[in-house]
Amino acid sequence: MTWLPEAAPGETPLDRVFGLTPAAYARFRALYASLWDPTVIDPAVLELCRLRIAMLLGAEGERRVRCSAARAAGCTEAQVSALAGWPESPLFTDVQRLCLGFAEQYVLDPHGFRDEDFTELRVHLDAPAIATLTLAVAVFDALARFRLALDVDPVADRPEVVSGPHPDAASLP
Amino acid sequence: MGRLEPPPGALTAFDHSPHAWAAFNRYYGTLWSEGLVDQPTKEVARLRNARVTGCGICKNLRFAGARAAGLDETHVARIDDDFAASDLPSRWKLAIRWADALITAPDAVDEQLRRDLLAELTPAEIVELTATVTIAIAFSKAAVAFGAPPEMPVLEVPTPTPDGSVR
Repeated sequence: MTWLPEAAPGETPLDRVFGLTPAAYARFRALYASLWDPTVIDPAVLELCRLRIAMLLGAEGERRVRCSAARAAGCTEAQVSALAGWPESPLFTDVQRLCLGFAEQYVLDPHGFRDEDFTELRVHLDAPAIATLTLAVAVFDALARFRLALDVDPVADRPEVVSGPHPDAASLP
Repeated sequence: MGRLEPPPGALTAFDHSPHAWAAFNRYYGTLWSEGLVDQPTKEVARLRNARVTGCGICKNLRFAGARAAGLDETHVARIDDDFAASDLPSRWKLAIRWADALITAPDAVDEQLRRDLLAELTPAEIVELTATVTIAIAFSKAAVAFGAPPEMPVLEVPTPTPDGSVR
């Protein structure tokens, strides 16, 4: 539970904290939803990157959230369970592995990127997909840090599939 | 941004994703231009991150609103490892401490820092500062990942706004 002594109205802990700045929160929700466009990048890839980033940063609450858009795109609980060992696991496609490697490098040491990393990305993804992947990884990094620093955990104590993300959602888990 | 070139006629590689990029700019502009916290305090925290992350672009950009409100290069030079002993205002030192916590250990914010934040800022201001710094942390890495130049001249730029207008 957050250490802030005030709360905004809202359904979820994130609503009640981020909602203290309602205009910024509304635009954050719009940004978040804009990332999950299946015509640009596979939502299952984004979901795996989001959960891996949460794992790397120790954001346990974020790790319990499952997005229905990613489930619909084929992201499985078996993959989620295998995320810690993604480089060796047979459960991930080449593109998923490439994007997970990108997300890890981005969060932990962006100075470690080499030109060849982007050359390989370009083999599998077009420029809109790489740009969106980068935006998404950045937003996931930011949200995980925000949750951790202000103690904003989703209330579920086990993995929970939530509907969305939706462009007009008034709430985020 | 040499590793992912912008589309023809565009400024950044993120213009390959115009819908999401516009949504990002509306969010970032809202935090900077429609916020509760004064711009110099947010700018100090942003510049602290830029130095720690080592983003050659971010650390040499200056948002005009913060400059107009009194943050000058003498102050900026003190956002270094000896900031605690400097004569920077205590509010700015607090912003640096908060930025450092968000960068290095957001899962281990100590009690004293929480108390100091609550004594200086309202809860809504803490949320806004946290949102501003966390998104600055995350996006400074993009410039690094895309192959930002290691150094560039100090450059004043308009403070971000939700609609891209200059204020």
